[in-house]
Amino acid sequence: MKQKVIFKRLQDIPPISISMGTMLWNKTGTWRYLKPRYVTKTPPCNEACPAGNDIEGFMVLVREGKFREAWELIKEENPFPGICGRLCFHPCESSCNRREYDEALSIHAIERFLADSQLEKRIEKPTPKVKHKEKVAIIGSGPAGLTCAYHLARMGYGTTVFEAHSSPGGILRTGIPEYRLPRSILDHEISDIESWGVEIRTNTSIGRDIPFRDLKTFQAIFIATGAHHSRNLDIAHEEAGGILSGLDLLKQIRMGERPSLGEKMIVIGGGNVAIDVARSALRLGVHTVEVYYRRSREEMPAIPGEVEEALLEGVKIHFLTSPIKVIKEGEKAIGIECVKMTLGEPDESGRRRPFPVEGSNFQVYGETIILAIGEIPDPSFLPQEVRVQDGLVQTDETGLVHAKGIFAGGDVSNPSHTVVEAIGAGKRAALAIHEYLRGRWLKEKFPMIRVGEKGTISLRKYFHPPEGEVNPPVIPFKEINTDYFEHLPRISNPSLSIEERRGTFKEVYAGLDRKMAQEETSRCFNCGICNGCDNCFVYCPDMAIKREKDHYEIDYDYCKGCGICFEECPRSAILLEGEGR
Amino acid sequence: MKTVIEGSHAVSYGVMLSRAEVISAYPITPQTHIVEKLSELCATGELKAKFLMVESEHSAMASCIGASAVGARAFTATSSQGLALMHELLHWASGARLPIVMANVNRTLAPPWNIWCDQTDSLSQRDTGWLQFYCESSQEAIDTVIQAYKISERVSLPSMVVLDAFYLSHTFEPVDIPDRERVDRFLPPYEPKYKLDPKDPKSIGSLTPPDLFTEIKYQMQQAMEEVKSVILQVDDEYLKVFGRRYGLVEAYRCEDAELVLITSGTASSTSREVIDRYRDEGKAIGMLKIRTFRPFPSEEIRRVLKGIPKVAVIDRNISYGMGGIFAEELRSVFCNEEVRPKVFSYIAGLGGRDITQETISDVIEYTLEQDRPEEEIFWPDLRR
Repeated sequence: MKQKVIFKRLQDIPPISISMGTMLWNKTGTWRYLKPRYVTKTPPCNEACPAGNDIEGFMVLVREGKFREAWELIKEENPFPGICGRLCFHPCESSCNRREYDEALSIHAIERFLADSQLEKRIEKPTPKVKHKEKVAIIGSGPAGLTCAYHLARMGYGTTVFEAHSSPGGILRTGIPEYRLPRSILDHEISDIESWGVEIRTNTSIGRDIPFRDLKTFQAIFIATGAHHSRNLDIAHEEAGGILSGLDLLKQIRMGERPSLGEKMIVIGGGNVAIDVARSALRLGVHTVEVYYRRSREEMPAIPGEVEEALLEGVKIHFLTSPIKVIKEGEKAIGIECVKMTLGEPDESGRRRPFPVEGSNFQVYGETIILAIGEIPDPSFLPQEVRVQDGLVQTDETGLVHAKGIFAGGDVSNPSHTVVEAIGAGKRAALAIHEYLRGRWLKEKFPMIRVGEKGTISLRKYFHPPEGEVNPPVIPFKEINTDYFEHLPRISNPSLSIEERRGTFKEVYAGLDRKMAQEETSRCFNCGICNGCDNCFVYCPDMAIKREKDHYEIDYDYCKGCGICFEECPRSAILLEGEGR
Repeated sequence: MKTVIEGSHAVSYGVMLSRAEVISAYPITPQTHIVEKLSELCATGELKAKFLMVESEHSAMASCIGASAVGARAFTATSSQGLALMHELLHWASGARLPIVMANVNRTLAPPWNIWCDQTDSLSQRDTGWLQFYCESSQEAIDTVIQAYKISERVSLPSMVVLDAFYLSHTFEPVDIPDRERVDRFLPPYEPKYKLDPKDPKSIGSLTPPDLFTEIKYQMQQAMEEVKSVILQVDDEYLKVFGRRYGLVEAYRCEDAELVLITSGTASSTSREVIDRYRDEGKAIGMLKIRTFRPFPSEEIRRVLKGIPKVAVIDRNISYGMGGIFAEELRSVFCNEEVRPKVFSYIAGLGGRDITQETISDVIEYTLEQDRPEEEIFWPDLRR
């Protein structure tokens, strides 16, 4: 290899110092004391999604125009992209690293775009790869129940969903106004679930029509009956005529009724039901809608965007006010006496606890008074062995109740009442039931299928265990090399003007078009995940990085460990470690 | 047909016509317009080149070296502190025998801070192994860039095309922009003798022991000596195709002169006017414009100045502790000659002070009055 070259004459000597033969024998990698390595980290959006969506993954596919593939990727974890893309409070966006740079990515709007882009395309006769003989009963066809049924059906189980109402969907059908979720979207996503062989028996209430004990013919049961009862205020004269539950009113409107609500409505509460009722009332022609909430705007449980829209549409919200008495005229309620509140120290929910201000009482009057201070489950149909505490069914972290083969999830056991958490619970229960029916315990698998540290799990990881680290660390903003990103404005859903919303339940947001969706995904940092940007390949001064078909490889024979690839990776998908010698 | 363009843009068009493939630059006044125009030409696709925005002049030259080492035609432009920052890599470029062409717009070095013209920046790089051409006009600038690629690629040494700040870089003049096809015929694509190729990795510039080092440096000096004839050959070819030539030096009305002014850059244009006036008055004054500073055209200068009794060198630069750099070179050209002119050394026009007709007349009058220089350096425009 190394051979001494002897020059006899000046003419033999090259004009520059250049090696006469190849230098490949010189393995400069032996100089290295730091070693780069490609890694895949966990993007914060993926960690934050309770449904376990691979958000970063579908951003890449949308950017490439692969809408069908992106939609299928979501459907591996979540049967409801059209619903989540409309109703979700998008914790993914709250965790998006881009927030610390300019604005979070419009993940929510892109998910909806994907669902809408596939409305015309049906799944061709989906069939599970394996068939199991066991059958599972699911009580309730809301997001938790249907998600559980969907995943079990995909895994090869026979599933029957019992629904007390005349059509499936649970709260999605009875509690969410049309302007937030058009019925056609709900029908479409439910029919996709049914196409997997899920049987939905409507008008069948467990407890009323079929006793719970008759479900013993099923090998496992999932309780997902939701929370459909309005919480009481416990104030004087609450029983008076003219006081309606927010949930009941939303249901009436959803069923096509147009109740006469008068000129002025008072809504008590600060959650999504209160806001939905208030906005619906304006659409039905109520002139003045006033919402009374006992804490401040910061503590409101309603989705901030929805509160914003309500204010734009003309809903008046009075913060730090609490009802103490219903004012009656005869047997009919005509108003509420309220007291002003002040905020103290944070309570067990982490929000500041409100206290009444003495002597600050005042009266408000309206033709309709709506109570929307929270919804609770009705567990009265359940057998004794299903433990209920504070109105909630008690489960372990896999959804198992303290009874063999019985699982529960969604609003019936979780007080946070969000669609996406119900979907996550349904998915977790499907896996737990599968493990249970196969004689195993899901809890032992959690470390292998978790995405980050917030409790979300991935079915993809369950069925296709990743090579390398199973749950790599979540990448913080400070690890993003922002030199490689331009500041770009967020592209959000276009919405109807305030005038266009009057007197109609037409959907408020219009959705992104292809171009907008693709443009928006180009803002994604792809945190911690190589997207083939070529920076490492271009910058490697030793040409030690080889570009393969869908990844890069480092030629450690020649990598000197300079660390430039590590420094220049925009998304921190390369680690630099001490060389193990 | 002539087009009125800025001096800086004359350089840019020269680079475009030379079909440079990699342009790497960092902005600095008064050079910026050159690469600004080039970035536009790249953006519009008129020039198909990779334009690299880098973080410093050091990186600009480093990337030109990389590009040239793999066989690409490379260009950069700079001034003053930027050129100083490149210093280490200037040696690298010439030592690796890479035919990079760079425009340097002459600006003095700070402090005190000053963005205006003098030659201290480029002359500080005298010994780096780069060819140096000092241009008098925008026409000369565009022509010199095209010639420089041909010369550099033939002798494997880099070229610096030098322009006076503002007097030339920011002044608009009518320029005959050469025809693209004719430039293509004049300057074919670069075919390096040695180049880096990842398919057959080699090492360049690596450790060379004492038993070979001298030979490599000897070859570099040989190449520098060969350059003079190459410049003249290329100049002749250029004359045939484009009708213009510049030579290593230009003698202006030097016949039987009792005094010859030695100038470079734009001061030559002003001097021509003054010389014409003296000649009209019947006084035998001439001018020698030095265009090629490296390699230094010693023989041509000796030939032109043969029998001339006095020369007055106007230096827009200073080597502290010695004096004007052109004057210094000139003295050394004559030191072994039996008959040699008296050399009067004038330092003028530093940091953008105008070299006016009055300054030049003062220089001529003073030189004519004296039998021999009584001082090593004269400062004709110093406030007293």
